[in-house]
Amino acid sequence: MLIEAKPIGHFPALLIFALLASLALACVTQRTTVERAKYAAWSLFLFVAVAVGIAWAMYPLSR
Amino acid sequence: MSEPPANDTRVAETPSKQSSTAILVVVAAWIVPGMGHLLLGRWGRAILFFVAVGGLAVTGYLLRGNIFPPRGGDVFGTLAFLADAGSGIFYYFARFFEAAGPDVSRAAGDYGTRFIAAAGVVNLISVCDAHEIATRRRS
Repeated sequence: MLIEAKPIGHFPALLIFALLASLALACVTQRTTVERAKYAAWSLFLFVAVAVGIAWAMYPLSR
Repeated sequence: MSEPPANDTRVAETPSKQSSTAILVVVAAWIVPGMGHLLLGRWGRAILFFVAVGGLAVTGYLLRGNIFPPRGGDVFGTLAFLADAGSGIFYYFARFFEAAGPDVSRAAGDYGTRFIAAAGVVNLISVCDAHEIATRRRS
């Protein structure tokens, strides 16, 4: 056993996924650094906003 | 067709050499995320892809996501294996990061499975990007 599994909450996991995926997509799809930064920021915001929106939309179903 | 500038070193490469370089870049990019871009002198992209792929894969392992073996048994298992194996060296060392094995009985483990697959897919995208740069289709 070299690395022990760590409990990661749902929201931190969402943020990690959104950040890393946004950076990779921005790097592939945009040409300049400024364009990449804007694209990554917008993509990160949309990832989080859509996830939180879907979570609230499903909230009544969990009760 | 216009004549290329005299100081353009790229014109010295023959098509066969360019092809072999592209193959080397593709293989390197798959085995070690970012290595293909590193060979092409794209340090920024190399670091970014290594961090993105490594971050997704290691987070997936820490969440105890499922790692699909080469013989998945069905089409979905095979597709999942291809996605997982896309992360190259991170798939090879999966047991190093996830020695306790997967645990998809919890939601976190299920998320981890998606993280690991996403890491492989992101690396496959980076492989395509490196190939396009190596073959001059992209700057």
